[in-house]
Amino acid sequence: MILLVTGGSGCGKSTWAEKVVETMPKEKRIYVATMQVYDRESELRVARHRAQRADKGFETLECPKDLESAPIPEGSTVLLEDLVNLTANEMFDGGDPERIVPALKNLAVRSRHLILVTNDLFSDGITYSPSVQAYLRKLAEINRQAAEMADRVVEVVYSIPVILRDCRSQSCSMEHSMIKDSGISVKGEMP
Amino acid sequence: MKLYIGGAWQGQDVLARQENPEGPFFEDFHETVRRAVLSEGQDPRVFAEDFCAAHPDAIVIANEVGAGVVPMAAEDRTFREAVGRALCVIAGKAETVTRCICGIGVRIK
Repeated sequence: MILLVTGGSGCGKSTWAEKVVETMPKEKRIYVATMQVYDRESELRVARHRAQRADKGFETLECPKDLESAPIPEGSTVLLEDLVNLTANEMFDGGDPERIVPALKNLAVRSRHLILVTNDLFSDGITYSPSVQAYLRKLAEINRQAAEMADRVVEVVYSIPVILRDCRSQSCSMEHSMIKDSGISVKGEMP
Repeated sequence: MKLYIGGAWQGQDVLARQENPEGPFFEDFHETVRRAVLSEGQDPRVFAEDFCAAHPDAIVIANEVGAGVVPMAAEDRTFREAVGRALCVIAGKAETVTRCICGIGVRIK
């Protein structure tokens, strides 16, 4: 299964994504960490995420860019966190953002389950500098392509999962995802 | 009238065209509101009501712009507020309102 998790900052995406992984096979759980650790704030965030993952059987792979080269064993359950950092690192740290989507597609084929975490940065109405606008636009494109690959797309709203699409519930069209269904628990039916 | 909204680049334009191949489309409507209010000094609600009366079959496509920190510049604050007021009127008149995220539409009205 391929799952894309989006939502605002600090809304519980990581915690929810990890809960989903807990319902999945214990073997070969790989956590792909994308954050460049360069200051105290990043260190604290990484420490908090590591604590969340303690005892959940994750092997952590640091992969700030070039996902294709990450040594992820075939058949793994992969939690990649997140597309926001990966895209920023590829764009602003001498990488190439064009290699992200092909790498995701290959990873999806190689993995048993693939859970991708991203972020919703697009509704503040601010026009930033050209390089930031280019970054936001590229991230939005990658998010849309990841959503297209995914069997399930979920927006986490303050810890509550709202299903935006579920290809396994027969209807991949939008009608089923009326807002009245939002907040339904998907924990029980994962994976 | 139908309204398609979403954050920047969330695919609301593509979905609007898929679902309404005929149009007529009014794209980047938040920028239309910006011009009407900031350049021409119109009231956003009156502008939106006049628009609805003139274009009852419009397919309106816009960005959601109100979910950030209050902008420092007065012009940005006016813009953000005006888009909110105008789109409330449009949403009120629209038969359907569809919100896009990651290219996926959710019908909220």
